[in-house]
Amino acid sequence: MENIYLPKLAEIKEIIQETADTKTIRLTIDGKSIDFLPGQFGEFSLIGEGESTFGFSSSPLRKEYFEFSFRTSGRATTGINGLNEGDKIAFRGPYGNYFDTSKMHGKDIVFVGGGIGMAPVKSIMEYCLDERDKYGKITILYGARTVGDLLYKNIFDEWKNHKDTEFVVTVDPGGETPDWKGKVGFVPTILEQLPLKGENSIAVVCGPPIMIKFALKTLEEKMGFSKENIITTLENRMKCGLGKCGRCNVGSVYVCKDGPVFTAKELESLPNDF
Amino acid sequence: MEEKYFEISSENLKKFVDGMITDNYEVIAPTDKDGDTFYGKISRFEEANLDILLPKMSYKEYLLPKTETIFEYSISGVDTDIKDGLQSIAGANEKRVIFGGRPCDAGAGPIMEKVFNWDYKDEFFNERFKNLTIISIACEKPDNYCFCTEMQLSPESSYGSDVLLKKSGDKYFAIVTGEKGLNLIKKYSDLFTETTKDKVPADKDWKKIFEIEKTKSFLDKNFEHNYFQERFLSCIGCGVCTYTCPTCHCFDIQDEGNLKEGRRIRNWDSCQFGIFTLHTSGHNPRVTQGDRYRQRLMHKFKIYSEKFDKYLCVGCGRCSRNCPEDIDIKEVAKNLAEMA
Repeated sequence: MENIYLPKLAEIKEIIQETADTKTIRLTIDGKSIDFLPGQFGEFSLIGEGESTFGFSSSPLRKEYFEFSFRTSGRATTGINGLNEGDKIAFRGPYGNYFDTSKMHGKDIVFVGGGIGMAPVKSIMEYCLDERDKYGKITILYGARTVGDLLYKNIFDEWKNHKDTEFVVTVDPGGETPDWKGKVGFVPTILEQLPLKGENSIAVVCGPPIMIKFALKTLEEKMGFSKENIITTLENRMKCGLGKCGRCNVGSVYVCKDGPVFTAKELESLPNDF
Repeated sequence: MEEKYFEISSENLKKFVDGMITDNYEVIAPTDKDGDTFYGKISRFEEANLDILLPKMSYKEYLLPKTETIFEYSISGVDTDIKDGLQSIAGANEKRVIFGGRPCDAGAGPIMEKVFNWDYKDEFFNERFKNLTIISIACEKPDNYCFCTEMQLSPESSYGSDVLLKKSGDKYFAIVTGEKGLNLIKKYSDLFTETTKDKVPADKDWKKIFEIEKTKSFLDKNFEHNYFQERFLSCIGCGVCTYTCPTCHCFDIQDEGNLKEGRRIRNWDSCQFGIFTLHTSGHNPRVTQGDRYRQRLMHKFKIYSEKFDKYLCVGCGRCSRNCPEDIDIKEVAKNLAEMA
């Protein structure tokens, strides 16, 4: 009999303090990464403080570790926040569906991430960058509330130095610092200024619901992306991740099993329950 | 196995139950406690209350306990010791018999079995379910809250029971649906007389007051309908409907203990609580009680049937009987069917 709720112990290889309240943690099990696909998620916990659901933020092609990023906000994340390199984190997963990269081959791709929503974008984006030749032009748009809220600052250069790849970073109006060299403006506003066309293109969009709503509108109505070619993720509260505990459903769709990755076309057919 | 049929006198039924108790079976039956009736362990036949229509709670907790230990842990230094909770429930319910429950409660097991086994198999549920022996008694007089007939069962349904007893004068007919029931009856074979199907009184012609398919077809098209917000303004969100429901199975996972020792547990949860779907960001997909009661109706009468080909409701009516605001789900389902 297998206990599907039983976690494995993963070792913390590296902790990156991204912002004042967010960290990226790199883990290994048996000294290496696990098999997963971009867009999938897992249940992570400091045993004794309870589980949290996070999407993976690393490229599955990087075999030496798997990583997730989180903001400290409650009991479970406060527990994880207190851990050090070498400590253990309990892990279950990977769960859920994934970004199907085979449908992106040969196409231009725009990645749009807002706030901590950049974490799942980073996984699929780095997966594509790791096999750069398989894709057309890549545009990356990343926005956060303030300069201090930007994650992954230490690897921005790595992203933008790929060939035929444009990286645009923005902060909300008022969130800039005097020496800020990026854009100032909400993600959908900056998106509108980019020279993108829906033809032969895929858009991957993750972030807060309000950002997704307006970004989707811009992509569809101003740039001509079809709903089938806009891909996003839903981030509903979960407990089991296995389609049993009954809280992540949107209509008849269980986000943990049928998602978390959905096209805008699929979202359109769901009731307003997310 | 094909169904088998037996007769047993009322006197022998008492001997059967007392015999099981003597043989160390844990017999769970409707029994009076604190002025109400609950399923509980009995130590002799007379403690069973077979006159009550339905005990206050179903016997869901014998399949899905209010609290289940997923694992126990102890941590010292860098060593984490995890003791799998599944191992400690192996063989659970092997000598447990639910006696005198009703066909609605019996129907809940095979319905819930589906969600616990699509893709990932929940062996906690499976281990308890496969071992439990269920001897139900057909209802003669359902009350006004009952609607099992509308829910594709009936007061005389044997679905989910290992043995269904049907009273006839001062004796009972026993319909045995499978090996588990037959093996138990065989141990007490001198108390039972085998008979044939034609001797068993035919089921009554139970009438439906609405068609559940129509309720579903309303739900299919009317997620945004005002009915939900208006009708459930009176709901106080106490969740008693979900706790007393034989098929509500939603759960929470929590850690209990400290950073040295404790356990991870699975607890009953309820879609009627605001925190159930609350995101860390503060966003909540289901803000009003109308949103939450609609989810309960959707889950029972639409979502589950689309996924698993069974409605997630056996029509026992407990959610209505126990509701402090007298929200009658049978009336609600009927209203929705009428609006379809």
